Amino acid sequence: MTTPDPVTLSVLDNRFRAIVEEMGEAMLRTAYSQILNSSRDFSIALCDAGARLLAQADHIPVHVGAMPFAVQAVVEAFGAGIAEGDIYLLNDPYHGGSHLPDLTIVVPVFADGRLMFFSVVRAHHTDIGGGTHGAYNPAATEIFQEGLRLPPILLGQGRMARPDLVRMIVTNTRLPREVRGDLMAMIGAAHLGEKRLLAVLDKHGAAETEAAVAAILALSEAHARRIIASWKDGEWKGEAFLDDDGFGHEDIAIRATVTKKGDSITVDLSDSAPQVPSFLNSSWPNTASAVRMAIAFLLDPEVAKNDGCFRPIEIIAKEGTIVLPREGAPVTMCTSHCSNEIVEAVVKALANACPERAMGGWGRRFRVAIKGSDARRPGRSFVWHLFHARPGGGGSSRGDGWSTAGEWHSAGGLKFGSVEMAEARFPLFFAKHEFRPGSAGDGTYRGGLGGELVMRLETDGPSVANTAGDGVRYGAAGMLGGQDAAPHHYTLNRADGTSRDLKTKEVGIPLAPGDTLHVRAGGGGGWGPPEKRDPAARARDAEEGLL
Amino acid sequence: MSATYRIGVDVGGTFTDVVCVASDGVTTLAKASSTPADQSEGVVNGLGVLADRLGLSLKDLLARTERIVHGTTVATNALLERKGAKVAMLTTEGHRDVIEMREGLKPDRYDLRLPAAPALVPRRLRLPVRERIRPDGRVETALDKASLDAAIATLKAEKVEAVAVCFLHSWRDDAHERAAAEAVRAAMPGIFVTTSAEVLPQIKEFERFSTACVNAYVGPIVSRYLARLRGRLSDAGYDGNVFVILSHGGVAPVEEAARLAAGTALSGPAGGVAAGVALAERGLGQDLITFDVGGTSTDIALVQDGEAALGRGRTVAGERIALESLDIVTLGAGGGSIGHVGAGGTLQVGPRSAGAVPGPVAYGQGGTEPAVTDANLVLGYLDPGNFLGGARKLDRDGALRAFERLGAALGIDALATAEGVHRLANVRMADGIRVATVRRGVDPRDFTLLAFGGAAGLHASAVARELGMRKVAVPVFAAGLSAWGMLHTDLRYEMARSELGTGGVPDDAALRTIWAGLEQEGRARVATWFGGEVETKRAADMRYGEQVFEIAVPLEHLAWDAPGLAGRVAEALHERHESLFTYALRGEEVVLVNARLAVIGRLPPMPVPEGAGRAEPAAPFARRRARLGGAEADLPVFDFAALAAGQDVAGPAIVESDTTTVLLLKGDVARMDGRGWLSVTLPEEG
Repeated sequence: MTTPDPVTLSVLDNRFRAIVEEMGEAMLRTAYSQILNSSRDFSIALCDAGARLLAQADHIPVHVGAMPFAVQAVVEAFGAGIAEGDIYLLNDPYHGGSHLPDLTIVVPVFADGRLMFFSVVRAHHTDIGGGTHGAYNPAATEIFQEGLRLPPILLGQGRMARPDLVRMIVTNTRLPREVRGDLMAMIGAAHLGEKRLLAVLDKHGAAETEAAVAAILALSEAHARRIIASWKDGEWKGEAFLDDDGFGHEDIAIRATVTKKGDSITVDLSDSAPQVPSFLNSSWPNTASAVRMAIAFLLDPEVAKNDGCFRPIEIIAKEGTIVLPREGAPVTMCTSHCSNEIVEAVVKALANACPERAMGGWGRRFRVAIKGSDARRPGRSFVWHLFHARPGGGGSSRGDGWSTAGEWHSAGGLKFGSVEMAEARFPLFFAKHEFRPGSAGDGTYRGGLGGELVMRLETDGPSVANTAGDGVRYGAAGMLGGQDAAPHHYTLNRADGTSRDLKTKEVGIPLAPGDTLHVRAGGGGGWGPPEKRDPAARARDAEEGLL
Repeated sequence: MSATYRIGVDVGGTFTDVVCVASDGVTTLAKASSTPADQSEGVVNGLGVLADRLGLSLKDLLARTERIVHGTTVATNALLERKGAKVAMLTTEGHRDVIEMREGLKPDRYDLRLPAAPALVPRRLRLPVRERIRPDGRVETALDKASLDAAIATLKAEKVEAVAVCFLHSWRDDAHERAAAEAVRAAMPGIFVTTSAEVLPQIKEFERFSTACVNAYVGPIVSRYLARLRGRLSDAGYDGNVFVILSHGGVAPVEEAARLAAGTALSGPAGGVAAGVALAERGLGQDLITFDVGGTSTDIALVQDGEAALGRGRTVAGERIALESLDIVTLGAGGGSIGHVGAGGTLQVGPRSAGAVPGPVAYGQGGTEPAVTDANLVLGYLDPGNFLGGARKLDRDGALRAFERLGAALGIDALATAEGVHRLANVRMADGIRVATVRRGVDPRDFTLLAFGGAAGLHASAVARELGMRKVAVPVFAAGLSAWGMLHTDLRYEMARSELGTGGVPDDAALRTIWAGLEQEGRARVATWFGGEVETKRAADMRYGEQVFEIAVPLEHLAWDAPGLAGRVAEALHERHESLFTYALRGEEVVLVNARLAVIGRLPPMPVPEGAGRAEPAAPFARRRARLGGAEADLPVFDFAALAAGQDVAGPAIVESDTTTVLLLKGDVARMDGRGWLSVTLPEEG
């Protein structure tokens, strides 16, 4: 195999990145549902014929290392039968998927009859059937109660999805129009990637392109290894806890034993808690992706996120634990929890190896969805998802954390909507939405602040809320002597004067007009001992009313 | 009677370009060094150089000048350098962190150690006022005098220079904002006060508040600058019209630019886009991509069907400005971008730039890392003895040594490295054009690449090839095109108002009432600027029921007075959605969010210049050794100014003037167009 000249290499490297960005932009513009076009909960990847990740668009970090598993599953299921024009679809967490709401489209790319690439699009759908509206079912004890399960299937040939299969899939969801629209957007984006890759193959030829891919991956690997080699060698343990599984078990541990030697890292998660009855279990692709996400956060941001940069990392887990559950266990919450705790445990362990790179913990996710009706729009019910009052980001050696920038798994990539727009569209009154003073973990550099929300319901009759999340007992972790952030505290103040705290995994909470939701979100974890904090920074925080 | 003049002034990072068009159409370009400390000094110096060129005294020139149009980067620089006014914010109690929450977003997804950016207004100066208006206009809590007085006492104690009054739902009713602003003005006469509804009367508090805070932050500085400019011009003998080009590409009097200072954030690059529109009118083609390559950056924008594309605001120096703005993509790659081996081990170009100081290695001012300009020099595309008409000598040997050092790290020779830097610059510029086109659903192959600014001509043909484009145009005045473009735009006042109810499209009568109100107010405003012909264009921001993003829907072609207007407005969304996203949802609820009106005051058209170029075809005046596509070539060099109208030049060749060099590649055919540009046709197979 000939090595392309350095200039051609740079040209192709730029092209591959531009292709995934263009695919992402197409997805953003054509997706129908809010969760895709507002929250950008989707990912785009290009893999080579060997299912190696070549380029990925930076949307939601939690998908970063998970996409090759989808391609691998398609290759295992269809092997030599894969043909030009085929469209594959899957979501099964036990066969290449992360959790059921994430559907993944895989399109093969051929040059002169030879399989060269896969164009891959994964997107979070608003509904996938199952026991509750919107996919998150805290009561589920089997994957079958979480929704429709799709191992890799041939959705269509000749670049056309089979209409009967599409109908079958969308019929199994509560929002068939949205799911169909989003699925079509995904297929369109995947085909755009195919078209652009064919142009690259046409211009550079299969041999030069293949050699360039190998060289790009080798350079990224070398880049990652150079950085890792500069860290201290050793073996360390890091742990993080989930509050509970919703079935009475508390303090569920994720334990990482991390060995850093030379330019390689081994992450052993075997000591993590046994699998749980509820949806906190993590599918293997999600576990692997969470570990890769943690290490990507510690490398330089410029390191290309591809197969090469993840080669120095080995991941070990034991079947029957929460990070590698037996087939059939529910997993829907895993892209938030326990993915956030896996990241935190790995970063805690590696903080010993590269203290300047480690950051304080980012927040945990605690969702609330309210279903009700609005007197201004008779005959129409609404579903409102809480994205306001976000938790804070962690502090680091470079400065204080970002306030209300969210959780580890999205890291400032998830937008919350306008309060004015929410009030105009929903029977809700936002009395307060501000930073929550005192929520950040103290440190040499403190965490960012979480948000506080006081929101009154003005529905015209009873409504109902579900919760799904974690983090009311454990706040984001402090790092290297920095303090933990305050945990979440969600309270329901009833119109009748009574009040109670909300739990993180509840279904069917009845609500009445005039009830008020009071959310106090946790901040980010601090970095370094608080006594080393610059007194001027502390004085400024006091003056700003943040303490 | 002797000629009268119109003058466009574009202040860049290095040079201030002054372009003058006389009543007989003759166009003259002058350049002076920019004066960053006070840009108005460079402006007046430039006018002096222009007067010399025309053989007039400055006083005589200005006595014959009927209009000066100015593009300024004062607001942009204040934001970039964080040198704005000390600003405080009065805001609805319970919501004072809107501008620092930034909707939960942070830049750079994988840089978790990026330190949190401070807000333009610190929290202690975001002062809560007890008041609340509901989205339907109902007053939930009346404006509370005690909390307002307390806030004003803090403003005084802190000696702030500007105040932004930002209350929730002022898009529906701004009575509380106006009352609070009045109270501030009464307590602190002379202070710069802005209200969010006055700047952007639109729903979505982050965009409105952020825009208002930017306005307060740059307002005092822009006001003082424009007053100084007025003063200098007045001292020199000019008291006529001075207009400023705004981010939306139209112009407004200096007083309006001072009031809506946030609207000058794209004043700099707007002139180039205006030039594209003007050249489209002159027959260059209806669909252009403006490609303005400067020292540190490249600005790219679309002209479609002869009109510039507008977007809903942009982010400047991390601050959101949600005003109607030209949809300009700015790319960190230009003549000064540095070639280097990146941390990943591959050759990279930019985003670091050599800037004006030290500049490229060839400037001999201390630069050691080779820039794109150095590559263009060592490859033989630039004449070391005739850069800027010989005003700056270039050191080719120094540049070559810099490429030897860079090449050593990659194991390739100096010329191959220089060619790599040139090619990578082309690739990055082409990717920038993809962002501006394919990512917006536009196919660049249907467009003409309009290349201008100092360095665009050297890259345009190769960049067009990367994109499969077949047409490139390089104007004779490529180096001063932005200043020229400013003379070809009209007065423009953009209005927007949120009209969101609980959903749906208002009925026919309500629609007519909404736009009649906008029209009355807009026409009254523009009537204070000038007395000429005024026209208006209607548009709306609309979406389907549960969607999050609105899309801009032009309504200017709808029959406005016939029955069934609401249905036609809804259909306009369906058609627009279909053309943008391939599908429409005709069964779905249609929601009208913002009503928009552009009020346009037509300025008298510019005279058409006499045919450019000579009658006799020109022969090449020199030949130059250059490296093209990995091989040595011997290229003919033509004098741009000597080309005859209709003359063809076949590539490979170089066409150059004092301020512009055009590199034609093999298969290119360039024809000198008598209307003032070189029209290049690329071969079928790139």
